[in-house]
Amino acid sequence: MNSSRLQHLIPGLVIFGLAAIVTWLSFTQEPASSFLFPRIISIAFIGLAAWNLIRAASGLARVGAGISGAMFANIAPGLVVMLVYIFFAAKALGFYVASIIAFFAVYTLYDPAPYSSAKDWFKRALVTLAFMAIIYGLFARLLEVQTPRGFFI
Amino acid sequence: MKTYLKKALLSAGALALTATMAVAADYPERPIGVAVSYGAGGATDFQARIVTMVAGNEDILGQPIYIVNKPGAGGRKGWNWFATEAEADGYTMSAYNIPHFIAQSIKGGVKYSADSFEPIANWGADPAVIVVGKDSKFNTMADLIEYAKANPGKTTTSGAGLFVGHHIAALQIEKACSCKLAYIPTKGGGAAAMKAVIAGEVLAGVNNLSDAFRAREAGNVKILGVADLERNDFLKDVPTLKEAGLDVDNSSVNFRGLMVKKGTPPEIIEKLAKQVPLMFGHDRVAKRMKAGGSPMHIMSRDEVKAMWAKRQETLAELLKGL
Amino acid sequence: MEFLGYFGGVFELKSLLLLFGGTIGGLILGATPGLSPTMAVALLIPFTFHLTPTQGLILLGAAYTSTVAGGAVSAILLKIPGAPANIATALDGNEMAMRGEGARALQLSFLASGVGGVIGVLLLIFLTPVLAQWALQFGPSHLFWIAILGVTVIGSLDSKSFVKGLLSGCIGLWLSQIGYDEIQGTERFIFADALTGGIHIIPALIGLFAIPQVLDMLAKGRSKVAIETIEVPKYSFLDSLRELIASVRALSIGTVVGSIIGLIPGVGGQIAGLVAYDQSRKFSPQRDKYGTGHAEGVIAAESANNAMVGPSLVPLLTLSIPGSPTAAVLLGGLLIHGIFPGSDIFDKHPQVVWTFINSMLLGQILMVIFGIYTAAWAARIARVPMPIMAAGVLVLALFGSYSVQQSMGDVHIMLVMGIGMFVLEKFGFSAAPLVLGLILGPIAGDYFTNGWMIAAAQDGPWVYFFNGPLNLVLIAMVVASIAYSFWSNMLQGKARKADREAAQ
Repeated sequence: MNSSRLQHLIPGLVIFGLAAIVTWLSFTQEPASSFLFPRIISIAFIGLAAWNLIRAASGLARVGAGISGAMFANIAPGLVVMLVYIFFAAKALGFYVASIIAFFAVYTLYDPAPYSSAKDWFKRALVTLAFMAIIYGLFARLLEVQTPRGFFI
Repeated sequence: MKTYLKKALLSAGALALTATMAVAADYPERPIGVAVSYGAGGATDFQARIVTMVAGNEDILGQPIYIVNKPGAGGRKGWNWFATEAEADGYTMSAYNIPHFIAQSIKGGVKYSADSFEPIANWGADPAVIVVGKDSKFNTMADLIEYAKANPGKTTTSGAGLFVGHHIAALQIEKACSCKLAYIPTKGGGAAAMKAVIAGEVLAGVNNLSDAFRAREAGNVKILGVADLERNDFLKDVPTLKEAGLDVDNSSVNFRGLMVKKGTPPEIIEKLAKQVPLMFGHDRVAKRMKAGGSPMHIMSRDEVKAMWAKRQETLAELLKGL
Repeated sequence: MEFLGYFGGVFELKSLLLLFGGTIGGLILGATPGLSPTMAVALLIPFTFHLTPTQGLILLGAAYTSTVAGGAVSAILLKIPGAPANIATALDGNEMAMRGEGARALQLSFLASGVGGVIGVLLLIFLTPVLAQWALQFGPSHLFWIAILGVTVIGSLDSKSFVKGLLSGCIGLWLSQIGYDEIQGTERFIFADALTGGIHIIPALIGLFAIPQVLDMLAKGRSKVAIETIEVPKYSFLDSLRELIASVRALSIGTVVGSIIGLIPGVGGQIAGLVAYDQSRKFSPQRDKYGTGHAEGVIAAESANNAMVGPSLVPLLTLSIPGSPTAAVLLGGLLIHGIFPGSDIFDKHPQVVWTFINSMLLGQILMVIFGIYTAAWAARIARVPMPIMAAGVLVLALFGSYSVQQSMGDVHIMLVMGIGMFVLEKFGFSAAPLVLGLILGPIAGDYFTNGWMIAAAQDGPWVYFFNGPLNLVLIAMVVASIAYSFWSNMLQGKARKADREAAQ
């Protein structure tokens, strides 16, 4: 069993497990009249999940490249920014401040320009502020969306 | 150490107090949101947009009111959100629908009850009416009841959902005639329930007076009765259910108004309770509401409180054993 | 031809200004992620308070048509569908934009929207009385079968693997059942507090399409390669026009499918684009190119979206029944001015109604002109370096998913679904069937429950769901669609096997 087959087996198993839980819940939860349609779905769901699992186990499901270590290493810093930004900073610091930080962080982390040149840092700051000014104009001024507040705005 | 803590707590309390007072004096300093638990375009949404349109006037609130729709599951989604997630700072209000949210809280499975909210004022009252298609064999409530008695559980009657005004009216009719209807809650609120009647998918329907009035004007339905204590100005020729011999009161009348979350600073509630009825009573609001065929019924905070308490009682009685 | 007489109402200075304003405003609102046409029209209602009924409706009519088309802009350029209607547009449109052909994709999308839209409005003008009765024929059992017919499309929609496509659809169907049961109000599958309100389709769309897109960009890492600027060739308007005429098959399939689906109250325009996309692929000799940036995909999807606008107003204007959420908002706009739709609305308020319809017709044409004009520079977004693009889409995803219902729960759901979809995509699952399941789940489920309750009071579910000509026709279509999926899947399997053997 090579690693690619193993990688395909894991999502297959997870989805089959999910389908099993859904099926079990659909047939046991009350009131039954609310779960008639979920029952129909769950039967199709578990059937397909089983089929998919068998294909994955037998090495037939080669669609999709999987996730490589190098790819994950590339994504990781951005993903951390994303998670902190959405689950914590947006509410705690207010949308606009958090967005300025997140935008700047993602841009800086993935910008190939050297970190030593002051000019590039200035450019990053400028682009961030310009983009956020547009967002502020669109959502806060034009559409008057009230977002969670933090510092300043 | 203990005195330190005491001091700290005291000063924190004082700080919080001055903060709320300052908040109340400046309130509102930014636009106020109103969460509507029904979809954009529905009767509640449409009326909420009209009655809040003059909020920005200096003599009303001085800040505009904007609407956020949180539709789903007969209003449960929106009110659950309001009771659990919304901030009690006066910048988020919600539109209420009585008897809907009280009936739902009695039935259970939701995170709110009448005690979770503080009423501000009431703007409208929309009685439930009984409608049938224009070609229906039923011409009076008596025809309908006679059929229901002969065919228990076969008289399909559409309404906007379970434990909303329409459902309450259907339950009250069943109780009064000691017969059995087949109440069909529809997806998509009153408009879908009305469509089911017009298209002949169901034999009868319970619907909002304002929508039924328009549907009759358009020549699509007949209105058999009004579930209210008196005949309505829009429908002078339609008898009340009481006149039709059914002991049904006004418990199902859909009262609409604004409320805030429990825990909102009293100064803010006071200010809103004073200003919001002025907003509802504004000439331009009245003109638009009349044009839209929506009956107005302005009630003060105290009147609404009494009405909520009374509904709580009658609905608990009606829904017992369901 | 009565409508021609009322064109004068549109050509007054103030009306024209409103028409321009409504069209441009609608395009901007439609292109903003998280703002569906329904919300955009609802936002404009307060403006109409200060206008006469006719002027108010000119504004709303123009805005409605252009928001639907505007949604294509963010779908094509950012892969964030502005509304469910634009999902299918994102599939091929974004691939084209990534190749630097954004201008071509946008121009074709606006032209196709315009053609579909004008035909849709003409249907509204000429066939309203006939179509109104037809729209009433669809009861809960029929709507259930229509939703199931939509579900059968899943197997063939944008997926490299038949089983995984179907499985993605099933996951979507299940996700759609989370939250309160719309009809009975009982709770289902609520594992976390944020899920009590269920999964709102727009934050889900943003998560499922935009977040994997962002992660894919990040996966390229901090390298110069990722930064290479794409050439954005100019694509002239005439070339687009020529290409549109050449793609007459996709255009007509899109327009017909969109018009029919628009008419059916309760299904709404959400699936018009996807169904048209799938149909035009099935009939295309180049069906393998769909999903890789094929212009026909954009044309079919966008012509269907706008073709649906006109017919969706038929039940509203004649029966006072709003067939879609946006139509419901427009109903509010009419009522505020004391206009009650009904079969006599054309006699009672001809001035208002015809001006409204005419403004939609002119709005379509203006929308094409503005759209084409802006397409050339909007397409330059493909030249924005990857890190800026990723950061920008991330920020837009937050603002877009929050502004739908102003709920942080929606934002969290958006990100969780997005990351989950990224992982699934890496293993051959795809977002489009999942989204289709998410849209169709509530339609199929609620009409099933609804029909079940009516059937229980009548002759039982068997008779209710399997009797009557309309039910039988729809069931036959469902069976045919399933059979087709299996058959074409088998053919593809054989072809792949033959390829492998030939290669060895």
